[in-house]
Amino acid sequence: MTQTTKMTPMTQGADMRVPATLRAQLAAGYGPVRPLASPLTRTLWVVPFAVLTLVAASMTFEFRMDATRLGWAGTWGISGVQVVIGLALVAVALREAIPGRGWGRVQTAAWLTVPVLMVLGVTLSSWELSPVRLRAQWWWVGALCFAGSAVSALPGVALASILAVRAYPTRPALTGALLGFGSGLMGDAGWRLFCHFSEPGHVLAAHLGGVLASALMGAALTTRLSGAGTRRN
Amino acid sequence: MDDDVKLRALMADYQAGRFEAFDEIYALVAPPVRRFLLGKVREATKADDLLQDTFLQIHRARHTFDPAHPVMPWAMAIARHVWLMDLRAASRRPRPTDDVTAIDLPVAAAASSFAERADVRRALVQVPSSRRRAAIEHHVWGLSFREIAERAGIAETAAKLRSSRGIAQLRSLLKAADVSRTKRGSHR
Repeated sequence: MTQTTKMTPMTQGADMRVPATLRAQLAAGYGPVRPLASPLTRTLWVVPFAVLTLVAASMTFEFRMDATRLGWAGTWGISGVQVVIGLALVAVALREAIPGRGWGRVQTAAWLTVPVLMVLGVTLSSWELSPVRLRAQWWWVGALCFAGSAVSALPGVALASILAVRAYPTRPALTGALLGFGSGLMGDAGWRLFCHFSEPGHVLAAHLGGVLASALMGAALTTRLSGAGTRRN
Repeated sequence: MDDDVKLRALMADYQAGRFEAFDEIYALVAPPVRRFLLGKVREATKADDLLQDTFLQIHRARHTFDPAHPVMPWAMAIARHVWLMDLRAASRRPRPTDDVTAIDLPVAAAASSFAERADVRRALVQVPSSRRRAAIEHHVWGLSFREIAERAGIAETAAKLRSSRGIAQLRSLLKAADVSRTKRGSHR
């Protein structure tokens, strides 16, 4: 949301003194404040979580069985890129949470579409390189991967939501969706190092589904937290 | 651009704890923000109420201002948010209080005649709806300011402000009604 405002006629013909009641209210809760750090700097808080989720699933369970076919670039490389995109989305969300620094419609659409296209590209290329079909119990494996991706993202969603609410999100649902989407990508980046089923139907429904679920969780949590913050003051 | 440079410096002072800077910020920022709000709500009293809410929120969000960026988009975004929240709260708010004839006013004990109760009703109609609602919810329904704030989706301090302003306006209207009735009585 880019807003432009003419500056010249600001004080023309207006007697704008602070009303006594407003002054009294502000004076009661007044004190110096530390300006918020930049969105990029605040995103650094999420980096340890991103690294942890990247390695957690494969270390807890096992590394995907087709790793040799995919190679380093197809496993760690792609997951690393996915984590970086996730972190970028969190930074985008933290900027969105600052009044007057929100994104326009086209930019917002791009921030939400480009990662989906990236996941789509990665899914298809992984399928080309290492086609592993999911034959039996597809619903059970799908549910596991959906839950795994979403649950892996939860700590990131919570942390990023708190960081966003620490600013003043004027569109908390959008802010939360962006940071949830980013955290979901980070969570899934680790989960895809464990799950070797590259069938597009499974990856898009379960893995991307988990990412989208964490976007919804982010929207709900940030809206909730930001509402609580408004009532508190 | 001078105004913007000055405003950025003032905001930095304000963040650092120099309260006097707020007076200057208010003088520079309030007129365009009020114009914006007036353009949205088209009611001066309502715009003034929202202006106060906006500055309460500006105060609350002052740590989010970055002196590397201009002040007005930041302030306008907060004003727009306050307006939208008010709009949303208005759509959720119960409507009965707008019909002042339906309110069971607790003036019976104090009022010596039906005419006084009618005066209160007439005066209430003249009080802007946001203030009337806050005053009635607190003084008639007995809701706390916190509850009023939650119902209206505004800050607790703003609810107090609306209620006290509503009561002050009601008092002055009743006083005027009393004076005119006394005059009418003395002319008979």
